[in-house]
This record gives sequence, structure tokens and C-alpha cells, in this order.
Amino acid sequence: MKLYFALSVLLFSASVPAFGQDASLGKTKYQECVACHSIKPGENLMGPSLYGVYGREAGVVEGFRYSNALKKSGVTWDAISLNKYIENPQLFIVGGRMPYSGMADEEGRKNLIAYLMTLR
Amino acid sequence: MVTKLKETDVVIVGMGWTGGILSKELSEAGLSVVALERGDMRTAQNDYALPNIRDELRYVIRQELMQNASKDTLTARNNPSQEALPIRRLGSFLPGEGVGGSAIHWSGGTWRWTDMEFKIRSMYEERYGKKFIPADMTIQDWGITYAELEPYYDKFEAIAGVSGKAGNIKGVVQKGGNPFEGYREREYPLPPLKNILSSKLFSGAASDLGYHPFPRPAANASKAYTNPDGSHFGACQYCGYCQRFGCEANAKGGPQITVIPIAMSKPNFELRTQSWVTKVLRDKTGKKATGVLYTNLITGEEYEQPASIVLLCAFAFNNVHLMLLSGIGKPYDPVSGKGIIGKNYAYDTGVGSTLFFEGKNFNPFISAGGTNIVIDDFYGNWDFDRSGPGFVGGYIVSAGHNTALPIGYRPTPSGTPRWGSEWKAATAKWYQTAMAITTRSGVLPHRNNYYSLDGTYKNAFGQPLMQLTFDYQENELKMAKHGAEVVNRISQHLNPTKLAKASAEKRSWNVVPYQSTHSTGGTIMGTSPSNSAVNKYQQSWDCHNLFILGANVFPHNSAYQPTGLVGALAYWTADAIKNQYIKKPGLLA
Repeated sequence: MKLYFALSVLLFSASVPAFGQDASLGKTKYQECVACHSIKPGENLMGPSLYGVYGREAGVVEGFRYSNALKKSGVTWDAISLNKYIENPQLFIVGGRMPYSGMADEEGRKNLIAYLMTLR
Repeated sequence: MVTKLKETDVVIVGMGWTGGILSKELSEAGLSVVALERGDMRTAQNDYALPNIRDELRYVIRQELMQNASKDTLTARNNPSQEALPIRRLGSFLPGEGVGGSAIHWSGGTWRWTDMEFKIRSMYEERYGKKFIPADMTIQDWGITYAELEPYYDKFEAIAGVSGKAGNIKGVVQKGGNPFEGYREREYPLPPLKNILSSKLFSGAASDLGYHPFPRPAANASKAYTNPDGSHFGACQYCGYCQRFGCEANAKGGPQITVIPIAMSKPNFELRTQSWVTKVLRDKTGKKATGVLYTNLITGEEYEQPASIVLLCAFAFNNVHLMLLSGIGKPYDPVSGKGIIGKNYAYDTGVGSTLFFEGKNFNPFISAGGTNIVIDDFYGNWDFDRSGPGFVGGYIVSAGHNTALPIGYRPTPSGTPRWGSEWKAATAKWYQTAMAITTRSGVLPHRNNYYSLDGTYKNAFGQPLMQLTFDYQENELKMAKHGAEVVNRISQHLNPTKLAKASAEKRSWNVVPYQSTHSTGGTIMGTSPSNSAVNKYQQSWDCHNLFILGANVFPHNSAYQPTGLVGALAYWTADAIKNQYIKKPGLLA
């Protein structure tokens, strides 16, 4: 049990980019998302709530109607998958329905993901 | 049996832009507000999300967001000698129904009307002489000024998330904007939308010919945006589903994502949907409104909602209809020219060319409501001499794709069969290669263009339908002729492979094809009860506690789209009620 815990912490941290992320700058970047995504648990707007998104399987927020593509994607939202998704949502989940063309700025994505990690 | 409800400070009829703005402003001022909307409750997340909203069949062909013509519609005719018949399927114009109103399915075009409109008669008489204005053209000064409205335009643009490029900041002309626009205190809240290929071509040609192209100001957020009230907008994704649709990205300004949710968070505000107002009630003197009569469409029960202030905020012609049904003010009579309610119906019109460029890919499916470039050299430009062409008004010219949909957008060159395999081949061949250049002119009011109550046909409540008598006149033909020449000059300059030229013909208005939802007039604004239904605060001359908001107060129509002025006037009226009327009820001076 103790070993498992230690291992999971290690795996968890290994998937996070090692430098450059700043959750407070990420909160500013989140303003691009806020029109459609709440950070309150259970509050689904145009998009699902982002509360607890980090580490969660894709397509599981209760009460939100996802595309089949997202539900069947098998993706878990970690720093790598979130980075790819936010960069180009329609390329990463073909057939997904988030109407957002993507965030080109890599630094911005990293900071945004650091902010999303705090939503728990 | 009518159930009399508890009195409220304010009752609002209709929940679009004007109803939403007044709901927020007056409930924040501490007044108790009840809003009655005859359509459904709708929200962005439940009704406009992907994938359902991108459904041309449902929303364009079947008109699901529009007024239900099987319950209430208008009868129409071109002139008083004809028999008017009901419009059983909406066509020419498309009023919205439900929470958000027509602001759900608008494109977002947001313009500032200037003193050229508000002082139309005096400015034309001064420059061109009294005889220049035709005897039957019933234009008049409005009694309001651009200087009074400037802060309210600014407010509405900030709330609605308007993207654009200023052309005149505090009197200094700005490069890239409209040099003929009214002075602004500051830039638009958001930079212009991206320039698509068709707009770029038009812009280049217009510049070459010495005109002044600029991006059309529109409430399509070019970037993520938070307005001064804290309402959030997403960035426009150029999905092409703007006009006729709710926005899937919360990027198109509308009351449903701004003022309405704020009002709904107040304990002293209540919204009742499926509530159809049939009459404005008055006291025995007839000089004061006492509330409204409405029917709950789910139960069929009838209610009286008493109120100290009554605000009519329905679609333009539904406000006029309610005035006629309630018998407030004197109905307009075209024979004597006397009476006010129903007077000065106006609309808009235009001409256009279609250009085909073999080898070009316009990707017309990538667009927004405001992906246009416009020239205002023949409208806002007061130096443009109208004495030669001999018309009052003028036109803007624009190009760029908007809402080019899979069923409806099928440009083909002239000579193509209308159906069959040849048509199919042509539509595939030319789809990517076509762009249009069009004009938009406001119709000027005419003695015989007006609303009245129909003597034959009734709505679902047994009330007479509104009757519309309308046709285009010589002034419109003159604008169309002049506009067609300019459009063709620009089109030829671009040297397309094939060109369907713009042409101007004398033709009557037809209710079937969609033209524009910009219906104005009916309860017009003016300087005294003898020439108008409302004063400059949109306040009824007949009942001082009745305000009639919307494009129905415009004494004429403009080449500019109406919503910028509708929104500015709504904030202006809200301030007048909050700061003057509730302190000292009576006619505002």
C-alpha cells in the first residue's frame, strides 16, 4: 500500500512538465474557456465543469452530453493529453464537438494545465 | 375569469435585447420587475450547443426559433386597393420568439446611427431645398441627438461584445475604420474579425477605386471577452452558423448570455414564459396604464398583471400590434394622413452582383455574421451629393461570406438549369468560386406604407391580425440604380471569370423570399404628440407610464442595421426611468 502510494505520486509527477508552468498565469489563460466551462463542481454550461478534470477519464462528467468520439476516446486527462487536446481539439479527438480552434501558445497551455490541476 | 395578480413596479412585455436590458437595469435599481415572454425558456447550454444547433433544416427551413405563424401572423398587401392576405409561412422577415428574441438568431451587425438620421428632414431641406423631399415621403426629425446617445452606444457595444475598427475617435479620423461614422469616445471593445478572402478582394478593389473600406462592426467576439457586467464571451470560431442560429461558442452578443442571467439572479425579478400579453390596460381617464392582460399558454388561464410602469419590449411590429389592440393613441389613416399608431412602416432593400472566379477557393463555410468589408461612401458620407441621383438616403456596399449553408447556398452562373444533373454539376463546380457584392438601403417612409388592424383575419386569441400595407417607391428605385452602377464598377474591377451583374428594376415587395428582419416604425418618435407616438425617451405621449421600446420608434429606416440604435435607446430609456421618472413620474422633458 505504501509502495503503491509512493509509486503513484512518482507517476503523477512524471507526467507533469518539469518547468515553466504557472497556475496564476494559467488562471488568466482560462478566461478563454470561461464562457463555456465552469470550475464549480457539477455546473455544466456549454461545456462540462472543469472541476477535477485533471486525472479524470474523458467523457464522464455526470449530466453532460458528450460526443461519442470523446466518450469512446479512452483518454485520461493528464498533462500530455490535455496539452494535445488544447492545442488542437479537433485533431486530438476526431469527431469531438468542442467549438474551439485551439491554443497555439505552448507556454500558455502549460500554465493553463497547471491551473486546471488546482481545480480539485 | 381573469385572476388579478399582485401589483409590481414594472411589467415588461417581451424578453429580447430591450426587455433584457430593462429587466437588468430596473431590477438592479431596486424595482420589482415581472417580465412576460410568450415563447419558451431557452438557454445557450440547453438549446444552442453542438451538434444540434447546426441544423439548417430545423432552424432555417422549419424556422424553429421564429414566431409561430399558426398562432399569430400579419396580413400583407402592397397598397390600399388590394385585399390583404395572411402570411401563413414567414418569409420576408423573421421575428424571433422565446427568451432572447431575435437577438438569438441575428448576425450581430451593430451600427451607430447619427444626426443624419435624427435630423433627416431639416438636414435635407437645408442642403437640397424643401422640394427635394417627395410630398408623400413622411420623414421627420426625431427630437434626439447623436451627442445624447453617444455614451449609450458605447455602453451597448461594450455589453454586446462588438468587434470593429474605429474610424473616428473624438473627431480624429482613424486609418482602417469608417471615416464617415459618428465620433466615438474610444475604440471598439474588440478588434475586427479575421478578414476572409472575399472580403480582402472587395477591400482591395474598393481602395483602388478610391472608396474607404472597413470591417463591418458586429457583436461577434473576435477574442474571448468579459464585458463590464462580468458576462463572458468565447472567441468566434467562424463556424458559419450565425444568422438564424444560436451561437454554439457563446461568441455572438445576445441578452441570453449577458443581461438576462443577471436579471434572473435578482430576487425582485421574475420571468414568466409562455405568457402571451393580449392588451395593455388603462385607468378610466385613459391617461395611465394600469398593467397588462395575459394568458398562460400552458393552462389557458387569463391574468391581469397590475404595474406602475408598463414597458413594451416585444418585436417591433408586435409592439405596434399591442398598441392597436389596446386602443391607445389614434390609428393612422393614410387618406387623411392623420393619426399616428401604425404610421411610417419602413424596411430595407438592396441590389447585388455575383462574381465567379475559376480557380479560387473561397471556403464560404468559414465565416461569421460580421466577416464583411463595407464602404459607407454613399451613405454616412454627407458630402456625397444626392442632387444628381435625386434620392434621400443612400446605401452601404459590402462583400464577404456570412452563413453560407449547405442547403441554401448554391451559387451558379446565369444560364444554369434550376434542377437536374446539370444543376448538380454546376453547383459542385462553382460553390467554391463565388462571392457576392451587395448594397443595403433603408426604405424611406411613405404615406401608403403603414400598419393597421385587419378586418377579416384573427389570431389564436380571436384578436384581429396586424395588417401591413407596404411597397417600394421611386426613392428606392433611384437608390438601387445608383447602387447597381457602383456594385458593377467594383465587380468588373475584380475581373471575375463570370459575372452576374447587379440590376435595378421597379418591382413590388414580395412576402415570400427572405429579405431582412429590419422592420421599423409604427409607434414613431418625434417632437410632439401631433407628429409621434413617443418622445425621445420612447415614452408614450398618451400614457406617461408606458414606454414602447425598439425599432418601432424609428420614423424611418437606414442603410445601417438597427440593433445598435435599439440597444443604445434601451440604455438611454433605462437611465431616464431610473434617474428621472421614478423620482418624478410624468412626461419627461
